[in-house]
Amino acid sequence: MPLWERRAVSQFVFTLLNGVTLAGVFFLVASGLTLIFGLMRVINLAHGGYYLFAAYFSWTIMDKVHNWALGALISAIFMAVAGTIIYIILLRRFQYEELRVALITLGISLILQQLMLALFGGDAYQISVPTPLRGVVAIPGVEVNFPKFKLIFFLFAIVIGLGLWLLISKTKFGSIIRAGVDDTMMVSALGIDVQKVFTLVIALGCALVGFAGAVGGTYIAYGMGTDGDFLLFSLQVVIIGGLGSVGGAALGSLIVGVVGQLATGYAPTLSGAIVFILMILVLAFRPQGILGRKL
Amino acid sequence: MNRRRTLFSVLVVLAIAFPYIVPDSTFWVTNGGTRTLWIGLVALSMAYLNRNLGLMSLGQLFFSGMTSYTIAILTIKHGVSYGISIPLGLIVGTLSGVIIGWIALKTEAVYFLMLSLALALGLYSLTLAGESVTGGHTGINSVAPPKIFGIDITARNTFYYLCLIINILIFAACLRLQNSNFGLALNGIRDNSARTTSLGYSNNKLRLAAFVWASFIASVGGVIGLFYYQAVSPDSVGLARSIDLLIVVVVGGASYLGGSYLGAAVIAVFESIIQDYTKYYVAAEGALFILILLIAPQGLMGIGEQMRKRRNKKLASAASTK
Repeated sequence: MPLWERRAVSQFVFTLLNGVTLAGVFFLVASGLTLIFGLMRVINLAHGGYYLFAAYFSWTIMDKVHNWALGALISAIFMAVAGTIIYIILLRRFQYEELRVALITLGISLILQQLMLALFGGDAYQISVPTPLRGVVAIPGVEVNFPKFKLIFFLFAIVIGLGLWLLISKTKFGSIIRAGVDDTMMVSALGIDVQKVFTLVIALGCALVGFAGAVGGTYIAYGMGTDGDFLLFSLQVVIIGGLGSVGGAALGSLIVGVVGQLATGYAPTLSGAIVFILMILVLAFRPQGILGRKL
Repeated sequence: MNRRRTLFSVLVVLAIAFPYIVPDSTFWVTNGGTRTLWIGLVALSMAYLNRNLGLMSLGQLFFSGMTSYTIAILTIKHGVSYGISIPLGLIVGTLSGVIIGWIALKTEAVYFLMLSLALALGLYSLTLAGESVTGGHTGINSVAPPKIFGIDITARNTFYYLCLIINILIFAACLRLQNSNFGLALNGIRDNSARTTSLGYSNNKLRLAAFVWASFIASVGGVIGLFYYQAVSPDSVGLARSIDLLIVVVVGGASYLGGSYLGAAVIAVFESIIQDYTKYYVAAEGALFILILLIAPQGLMGIGEQMRKRRNKKLASAASTK
C-alpha cells in the first residue's frame, strides 16, 4: 500500500474508533433517560444539566480525593440521591401528566444552569485521565495509536449496557419493570409497590448520568453550554434509536457517535446537518425510532 | 363575548397610548413594549398550536431563525434588497413549516415536545457550524434597518407601532380562524379524531394547515426579532431563548391566545425588577416557572377558571354529602 493510502486508512480507523468510543459516553448518558421514560413515560429535559453537574461534581471530588474511581462512584451516588429527592419533591405528584413533568424539568434545567455558572464560572473543564489509563494502544495492522482510556471507557459502557440488559430481561425486578411499561395499574393490582419501583428506576437512571458525568468529563472538555449539547445528543440518540429501550439507546448512540465523528472528520461544516437530517429521516419513516415500539 | 370585545378595545387603546403614558419611555417603549410584542408574537404561535392542536412546541424559534437567517444572509451578505429578502424569508420560514409539520405531526405530546426541541437545537448547531454562510458564533451583525419612503422603520416609536399593527392583524386572524369552520374542525380533531375522520374530515391536512399557519406567525416573529436586535446569531435559536418563550407561554396561560402577551408583559416587568436584586435572574425565572406549573398549570389567564372549577367542585361535594 502506498503511504498516502495507509495514512488515509489509519485516519479513517482513528475517526471510527473515536466515534465508537464517543458512542459509549452517549450511551451512558442516554440510557438513564430512556430507562426512566420506558417505565414512567416521563422525559427528563434536565438530563443534560444533570450530566454537566455530574461532570463538575466529580471533578470537585477527584480534586479532593485524587482517585478517579472513587470520584466517579461518589458522583453516581450523589446524583442518584439528588435526582430522587428532586423527583419526590417536584415531580412525583404529577407523574401521570407527562407534559407538565417535562416542562417542570426544563425549569429545573434553568435553575441548574445558573447554579453551575455561579459555582464553576464559564471556563472549560476537563477531568485528567487517571494514571493507569494513560498511554496509547497500538491497533494492529493499521498504524493507529489510540488512547487507552477511551477504549477502557468504551468497555465500561459495554459492561453497563450488558448489566442493564441482564437486569431488565433476567431478574425479577426487571420483569416488574417490563410489566410496568405495559400496564402500571395491573402491576400495582398484583400487590407490587409501583411507587417504590418508580423511585428505584429514577435513582438508577440518575446514578447512570452521575457516572456518565465522570466518564464524559474525562473524555471531552465541558463547560457552559455543555448541558444543552448533551441534551441534544441524548434526544437525538433516543429519537433515532427508539425511546424507552436500552437496545435502542445503544444503537442510537452508535449511530450518532460514529456518523457525527465521521462527518466532523470528513465534512466539518456539514457535521451538524448530517446527524440532524438522519434524525429527520428516521422520524419520517419510523416515528417511534429504529428499535422503538409503536407508540 | 361583548365584555371580551370591550376588554380587547381597551387594551388596544392602551397599547396605542403606551409610548406617551409610560414613564421613562426611552427604556420602556423598546424593552417593554416592542419586546413584549415581538416575544408575544412568537409565543402566540406556540399558544395557537397548543390550543388548536393540543401540541406544546419548543421549536417555533426554528421557523423564526430560518426567516431571520434567510433575510440577513441575502441582504447583508449578498446585497439583495429588503423588498425581496423579507418576503423570501417569510416564504422559507413558512415552507419549512410544511416539511417539518409533515414529519412532526406524526408524533404526539412529549415526543412532539422533544422533537421540536431537537429541531431548534439542531438549527442552533447548524448555524454554529456553517460559519462561512451564517457567520458562526458571532452570527450576522449590524443589520441595517429597512427604510420605507426614507423613513427608518426601526426608530423607536415607528417600530413599536409597526409591530403593534402586525400583532393586531395576526391576533385578529387567529381569532377569526378559531371561530371558522376550519377552527371548529380542528377542535373536533383535537378532542376526538376518530369521530372527525368518520365525519369525512381529512385530519392530517387540517392539522398541517394549522401547523403551517403557526410557522408563518413564528416567521413574522423572526423578521421582527431580526430588526429588534439588528443581528441574528445561533443564540437567537438556542436552548435558552426557547425556554424563555416557553416560560412566557406557560406563565400567561398556554391554552389562551391572549396569554402570550400577558406572559410576555409579566416576564418583561419581572425581569426588569429582579435584575436589580440578583444577577441570577434566569434562575429566578425558572423558579417562577416551576411555581406556576405547580400551582396554576393553566397560567395567569386560567386562574379565574381554575378557581371557578374548584369552587364548583366544593359546592358539588358539599351538596352530595348533605
